[in-house]
Amino acid sequence: MAQKTKKSGGGKKKIKYFDYTLLFIIIFLVGFGLVMLYSTSSYNAQLKMNDSAYYLKKQLFASILGFCGMFVMARTNYHFWLNLSWLAYLGSLGLCVAVIFKGTNLNGSTRWLKIGPLSFQPSEMAKISVILFLSALISLSAKRVRELATVFKLLMVIAPVVIIVAMSNLSTAIIILGISICLIFVASPKYLQFFLMGGLVAAFGAIYIFAERYRADRLLVWLHPEDFEKGYQTLQGLYAIGSGGLFGKGLGESMQKLGFLPEAQNDMIFSIICEELGLFGAICVILLFLLMIWRFLVIANNAPDLSGALIVVGIMAHIAIQVILNIAVVTNSIPNTGVTLPFISYGGTSVAILLTEMGLALSVSRGIRLEMV
Amino acid sequence: MFRYKTFNRQKAMVIFVCVLFMMTFLMGRLVYLMVFCSEYYGQKAEDLHERERDIKAARGKIIDATGVVLAANKTVCTISVIHNQISDPEAVIAALTKELGIAEEKVRARVEKVSSIERIKSNVDKETGERIRAYGLSGVKVDEDYKRYYPYDTLASKVLGFTGGDNQGIVGLEVKYDEYMQGTNGKILTLTDARGVEIENAGESRLDPIDGNDLHISLDYNIQMYAEQAAGKALAQKQADSVSIIVMNPSNGELMAMVNVPEFNLNDPFTLNYEPQQAVTEEEKQNLLNNMWRNQCINDTYEPGSTFKIITTTAALEEGVVSLSDQFFCPGYITVEDRRIHCHKRTGHGAEDFVHGIMNSCNPVFIDVGLRVGPKRFYDYFESLGLLKKTGIDLPGEAATIMHSKENIGLVELATMSFGQSFQITPIQLVTTVSSIINGGRRITPHFGVAVKDGDGNTVKEFTYGAQEGIVSTETSEKVRFLLGQVVSEGGGKNAKIAGYEIGGKTATSQTLPRSANKYISSFLGFAPASDPKVMVLVIINNPQGVYYGGTIAAPVAKEIFEDILPYLDIPFDEEAAKENEVR
Repeated sequence: MAQKTKKSGGGKKKIKYFDYTLLFIIIFLVGFGLVMLYSTSSYNAQLKMNDSAYYLKKQLFASILGFCGMFVMARTNYHFWLNLSWLAYLGSLGLCVAVIFKGTNLNGSTRWLKIGPLSFQPSEMAKISVILFLSALISLSAKRVRELATVFKLLMVIAPVVIIVAMSNLSTAIIILGISICLIFVASPKYLQFFLMGGLVAAFGAIYIFAERYRADRLLVWLHPEDFEKGYQTLQGLYAIGSGGLFGKGLGESMQKLGFLPEAQNDMIFSIICEELGLFGAICVILLFLLMIWRFLVIANNAPDLSGALIVVGIMAHIAIQVILNIAVVTNSIPNTGVTLPFISYGGTSVAILLTEMGLALSVSRGIRLEMV
Repeated sequence: MFRYKTFNRQKAMVIFVCVLFMMTFLMGRLVYLMVFCSEYYGQKAEDLHERERDIKAARGKIIDATGVVLAANKTVCTISVIHNQISDPEAVIAALTKELGIAEEKVRARVEKVSSIERIKSNVDKETGERIRAYGLSGVKVDEDYKRYYPYDTLASKVLGFTGGDNQGIVGLEVKYDEYMQGTNGKILTLTDARGVEIENAGESRLDPIDGNDLHISLDYNIQMYAEQAAGKALAQKQADSVSIIVMNPSNGELMAMVNVPEFNLNDPFTLNYEPQQAVTEEEKQNLLNNMWRNQCINDTYEPGSTFKIITTTAALEEGVVSLSDQFFCPGYITVEDRRIHCHKRTGHGAEDFVHGIMNSCNPVFIDVGLRVGPKRFYDYFESLGLLKKTGIDLPGEAATIMHSKENIGLVELATMSFGQSFQITPIQLVTTVSSIINGGRRITPHFGVAVKDGDGNTVKEFTYGAQEGIVSTETSEKVRFLLGQVVSEGGGKNAKIAGYEIGGKTATSQTLPRSANKYISSFLGFAPASDPKVMVLVIINNPQGVYYGGTIAAPVAKEIFEDILPYLDIPFDEEAAKENEVR
């Protein structure tokens, strides 16, 4: 933790805080992600686009854009963005509606909006908008959050975006819902109602899964990936993980990325990390994410006010949910859902918005004031 | 503005602890997958990535008694293209069109086809392959392969046989000794991507092929050549359907030559060696090919005719029912039960002793002798001389003897059998049986295979063949040799006589079934030296046009062969006898 000392009027030394640890982790993860993305995607890129750096270039461009966003966010006071959060929320709601009608179809699902030469995934933006908007709302009604009615009101407010996102991208909708529940959970002093809510969600989830045949099939595929054609990707991922061993085959030496594991640079990139860097590398990556989440906890718990803390809690929930879901899917610990690994999986919108989000967290960290004794 | 309270901190901590717990679980799951399941998944992945490529093993050679290689291997190349690795398609198309002599459109179609590997041409000779390799074009693969090659094209085609596409023996010695000559193919294991394209610098594990062993046979290239020339000449002169010649060492059964003209080209076995009269379907062509590949010496049976009188003589001598000085009278026919059986000389041979009976090949004499032996005992000799069994020659598809059953042999059957009719044996059976009679009574197994040696000449296996001693007494054996010597020196086989060499033999002229077709088989069986046989020759001319008497047309062919091979085999030449003959 680097500290910046600044003389202030009263002769009392005030220390301006900036979380350089978090910044370092972010830079490291993005750099590491780019290396792994190039390693994983160069074969596919050469084959399909005739340019082995095709995906790398796009991701690099998005990362640079993201770092700019991060810089701007970190430099501005987050209260400014909190005041504008309703606009962001409505904007992303509008874009999510637009994607249903005017979206571009890629890989069988309509999740992208084409703006000139760039394609943009509004559901990624919905996540950060919900974090900001809900943080602003909760801090306005902090006293009433203990009431169940308020909890439901808050949930109703984000319901439209969850439903609209769910129409095209169920897993992102689940993430948004998860983030929201975490925010309300932290804001509310109660425990019991959340346990009840958790039970209710689990029950509905079970009904939801067994109500429709194809979701039940998905469960079977999860349990026995060898026996189903749809288990192909999962199985190939397991082959990659298993063949990594303790220290892996070495960077760039993956065999599974050579067309065996389809679209390896997307959701399944973690399995290629396992194959190339082994158990050692994989655990390092998980620990790095854990360290990042730990920094969020520290920032949140030292935030100057509730709204700042909630923003960082939301970001923490966002990263944690995605990392856990992604790795759980890759290791076939849960049925397959398309969740990307933050900073590492290929996806321009995702990485640009994530970096901007990190800027918000850094901005909150700047608000921390330590007093030197 | 609200402050962040302690309970908020606690709850954030709760979330963090949950995250910690789940991440620990995931790390545990990773440990399970990457340590305990690593071998299982790793192996499965490897199976998925590895491609196996065979390296063909060279097939063993077939080498004759003098060291001449009769079947060898030629290195050929298979040219293929890998679409993704081609950098300059036009250059590839131009080069392949030029070198392989294939139409440009065909080459273009294959070069431009998007596939992992596309074969352009196989069985390309080595020089062309080298030239294509010298272009250094990326994406063009030149793989070496072996192809069976027969340096003498048609020589002993029906004996050697040939191999199929995977270098496996199909007919002849190639199939009989396949297990020795077939090597063990090697393997190259390479890593490939999902499309099957090999990964460069991935390192390949290689299992070297083990070449097949060489087969050494008793066939002698020179004798085979002499015999084929003589047979070819007879075939052309007599416009016969086919001519078969067997040359064997009667004392141990080693075959020195086996000819069946017309032979076929072993390097092109799927082309008929004649123009079919009319267009044939694929199926008909296959039948014609099967016929062309037949080795008549062992796959076909025939009525041996008068050469079989050697066996009748043996049986009678062994039984003691005839002595060389016994007197006979031939009126031109003999009546058996109600049948009158003619002698080939309708006017009859008149009074003659047994020696002259065989010299004249007189049917009534042999019918008389045969009847003296009697049906049951005659049949027993058939059996004890080994005529009812196959000879056991080391070639596939030997035909069995076609014979009356024992109960059905009446006097008429016996009479016809005594001069070699009404039953059928293979030519190799006749040669083997007569050899066994004249070699002192040792039933030998005719064979080609002598030994199997590896590439460095170390013997891997030496073949031994069973022999049955004492099938006839040495006295009988000696008497038969004497009688057959008389047949050639002064009797019906005198056309095979060579001054200075003592040759024994017997002629035969048999009519094929149906008799009404008036087709004949003329044959001559001879051996030299008559008193101590070193070589036996059987000549069979199938359906000759014009004169068809064995003594007239088959004996001279045998003589021609003897003239060539007796000096070659260092058979003692009696100069005085030769001079004496000239003077006379």
